[in-house]
Amino acid sequence: MTKLTEIRILPPLAIARLGDAAEPVNNYDLEVSANHPLGFRAIIEAPTLVIDEETGAIAARECRPVTFKDPDGRIRPVAPFLELWGRTGPGDDDWRHLTMHDLQGATIRWRATVGNIKVFRRTGDVHDKVEATTGWFSAHARMPLEGRADNFLAGKHIPLGDVRYIRPTEQFPQIRVRYTPAHGYVYGSSTFVKKADGTYASDALGYLQADANLRDVVYDSSKGRWLGFNEPIPPNTPFLPTLTIPPQIFAGQAGPNNGDWISSGYLDDECDGMIEVELDIGGTTLRSFARLGAGPPAFAPDSYPIRTVYDELEQALLGPTVDPAQYTDDELQADAEEILRRAFETVRLMNTTIMNGNAYDGKLDIGSTMVRQDCNDAARAWETIMAPTIVDNLAVQSLHQNIVAVLRSGAPPWFTSTLRKFDEIGDLTDLGRRKMPGMMRNADGRYLCLTRRQYEKIRLAATRFVSRAATKETP
Amino acid sequence: MRSRFARHLQSVLRPTTRDKARLSAERPPISPELTGHQYAIFLLRVAAGIEHALMAQYLYAAYSLGGPNVAPQHAATVVRWQEVILGIAKEEMGHLITVQNVLRLISGPISFDREDYPFDAAFYPFDFMLEKLTPGSLAKYVYAEKPPDWTGPLADEITKLATEANHNAPLNAVSELYQLMIDTIADRTLVPDRAFRADTEDAQASWNEWGRGYAHGARGNAQGGSPAGSPDLIIRTLASRDEAVAALRAIAEQGEATRLVDGEHSHFERFLTIYKEWKVIGHAGTFAPARPVATNPVVEDSLAESAPASRGACTVITHPVTFYWAHLFNVRYRLLLSALTHIFESWDAYTANAQPTARSELITLVFGEMYKVRGLGSVLVDLPVHDGVPVEREAAGPPFEMPYTLSIPLRESDRWRWHLDMLAASRGILGHLGKLDTNASRQGFLAAIRDGDAELMRRIELIIAGLEKTGSAGSASSGGKV
Repeated sequence: MTKLTEIRILPPLAIARLGDAAEPVNNYDLEVSANHPLGFRAIIEAPTLVIDEETGAIAARECRPVTFKDPDGRIRPVAPFLELWGRTGPGDDDWRHLTMHDLQGATIRWRATVGNIKVFRRTGDVHDKVEATTGWFSAHARMPLEGRADNFLAGKHIPLGDVRYIRPTEQFPQIRVRYTPAHGYVYGSSTFVKKADGTYASDALGYLQADANLRDVVYDSSKGRWLGFNEPIPPNTPFLPTLTIPPQIFAGQAGPNNGDWISSGYLDDECDGMIEVELDIGGTTLRSFARLGAGPPAFAPDSYPIRTVYDELEQALLGPTVDPAQYTDDELQADAEEILRRAFETVRLMNTTIMNGNAYDGKLDIGSTMVRQDCNDAARAWETIMAPTIVDNLAVQSLHQNIVAVLRSGAPPWFTSTLRKFDEIGDLTDLGRRKMPGMMRNADGRYLCLTRRQYEKIRLAATRFVSRAATKETP
Repeated sequence: MRSRFARHLQSVLRPTTRDKARLSAERPPISPELTGHQYAIFLLRVAAGIEHALMAQYLYAAYSLGGPNVAPQHAATVVRWQEVILGIAKEEMGHLITVQNVLRLISGPISFDREDYPFDAAFYPFDFMLEKLTPGSLAKYVYAEKPPDWTGPLADEITKLATEANHNAPLNAVSELYQLMIDTIADRTLVPDRAFRADTEDAQASWNEWGRGYAHGARGNAQGGSPAGSPDLIIRTLASRDEAVAALRAIAEQGEATRLVDGEHSHFERFLTIYKEWKVIGHAGTFAPARPVATNPVVEDSLAESAPASRGACTVITHPVTFYWAHLFNVRYRLLLSALTHIFESWDAYTANAQPTARSELITLVFGEMYKVRGLGSVLVDLPVHDGVPVEREAAGPPFEMPYTLSIPLRESDRWRWHLDMLAASRGILGHLGKLDTNASRQGFLAAIRDGDAELMRRIELIIAGLEKTGSAGSASSGGKV
């Protein structure tokens, strides 16, 4: 038996993506094409672990075609694996992915606990918390996560996915679990559509309208107040400290008073939580845990957003400043190029003319934009962010692509001061609103900015030009 | 001598002692061939050429800075200087744009032309010369931007050095031309009120479209090299004589400093600061802030085996790979100028509505090519100029050669085809470089240009198809909405 001093579940955070197809998305890498470096990233098949549904063992490890929907049009979920690693010595390199051979004579057990507390976040009623646990388990069957809340109808639950301890075999002896998320369905509080005043909607013939969005009615509106819940804002009430920024971002409809927003009583099957492991080995019990969550599918899988969870984690781990000694010139230049590549990939998904506040067929304010936010939040006069004539989507894409092209020449970034700093997100001057990233809102309700660490990398790349030439190769 | 210009300025910029005395007391004589209105337009076009020429020379000097010769202890200083000079070059772009706006205000034809090789325009501040930054070239820049009343030992020293660097040819300060221009446009007897067309304001370049955030040092001063508040692009739309005079005065004070004003960080002051810093650092030992880039690099149409290494004052790029990079630079520079001309010449077509249409595409094309000029410039300063001559001894540089014409076709669709022609020429050069240049990093740059161009050409084809579908292909005043 291997002597273990510590164990870890890796990765420490795994994010699944909802989908109702039976087969998850196969594994893939994204690569920038050498011939089309300004085009879409190429999706390259990567080795995929294929699970035998009956035994829970790995049947094969092979590259398979990557599709994001099955032949019936159902979205394939992203179902991450989590691996158990153990430390066998004092050194940083003494970690390895544990196998069943390492665990001979040991006892292992897992437990996943997840929750969806979005409704509780609004109502403040603890009975609205939707929670699920697998309990401790050691077998290799799928362990369902059935989300239940006190305010649910008797016997009802929301499936939040399942966790499976993958059966190790001689061919694939490694220890791992897999989280398969839920299907991405909408659950509700009423079979029939209700109006803001609490009465039922009916069609022209007087028939009640069934709510076609719903997979199931799970919420008992006689116990909880989520259906018809009003989250008022000014002028109805002052802004309350518990409101999200912006408030009222749930399915609902306007109420009788200006500032009312009445909930339609919907719930979804996203969740997040933890998976724990306990290993009884050599007379001791080692423990570890990892975090997991399930979010919506990626509908532009060949693009990256300009600021991702990865960037947040990197900053949390390594700090907001960058030690120049930790990066070569080429690494900093490559990072700057990557950020700009993500910028045009993001622009590709934006309607820049509308988000800029341009009129459409003579009509203003036709979408939820930063222009509207500036008016609503700060009583700023309605004004487009950029000149209306320069925000054509293809042109804006092209502009960013040109910057990426020039960065590939080795020219240092020259646009540091166009980037919005973290403390400039509330600058509503023309210059402030036009900083980059443009036209987008951060989770704090104000203009999006890069992480401080992303900004620092570009700033450093801009200052290092003197020595770059020395590394260039003469033709 | 390019007499069609110089003959109208002889008494101003090459004055005899008697002329100088008279000039200080009275208005300079205007050619009997010109009205005051025409004379103002003439001066504005001369000023546009000078701004353009200064911009190219400043960019070249800025691109020359850096490289492996810079000692680590001087790296921060050199980075700062480059930022200062690039900032000044950008402000010259702003001057060039605002001068076009004044031209438009008084119904003059716009001009993006400038002198090229062989250089023979007597009214320019100094002979056009693309060269690395040296104390001599710096002295010329200081002199060109100097206020008229600048005197003292340092002024004498710089004048002497600048004159030597200009091969003892006479120097001019730009401030003299600007003062003449301001006096002319301000004079109602020369330029009547009716010459000022307020209704052209919508057809002028606006800061919102062209400023790109370069206001009061908010952009372009990331290293803190420029004084606080700079660079600050002056791009103003104009509706009256007073506004035109105020804009020209602002340009003069910012760049060419007609008056010494404390706290006004003119180009003159910024160049002078670099000159003073260089003197201090230079005394401390060997100081090489710039790469050994060629002086006045040019390319011939073909690479003859016995190609001369120089042509007059120019250095002929003969290295077989650099040859194509230089041509690529020239064709992209030409595309930039053509797109700029196109957007100014087609203004009515694209301001008839505020929807983003082909106007957005043209503005992006201009800025995209500006970026490429920067990228190609940074490549060329690290490439050899001649085969067998190490780049450490002599490097190439961006040639900034003017195209044979800046005129564009009459028909709107043909204007777009004009750009397509340049992109096609560029594609051919990219093909040669794809085969000849083995450097992986530069190949990555070339692939990105190729990729972007393919998409751009596709969009231009769509614009042309849209123009022809709506029957507006033949009119420059109704095209562009696609």
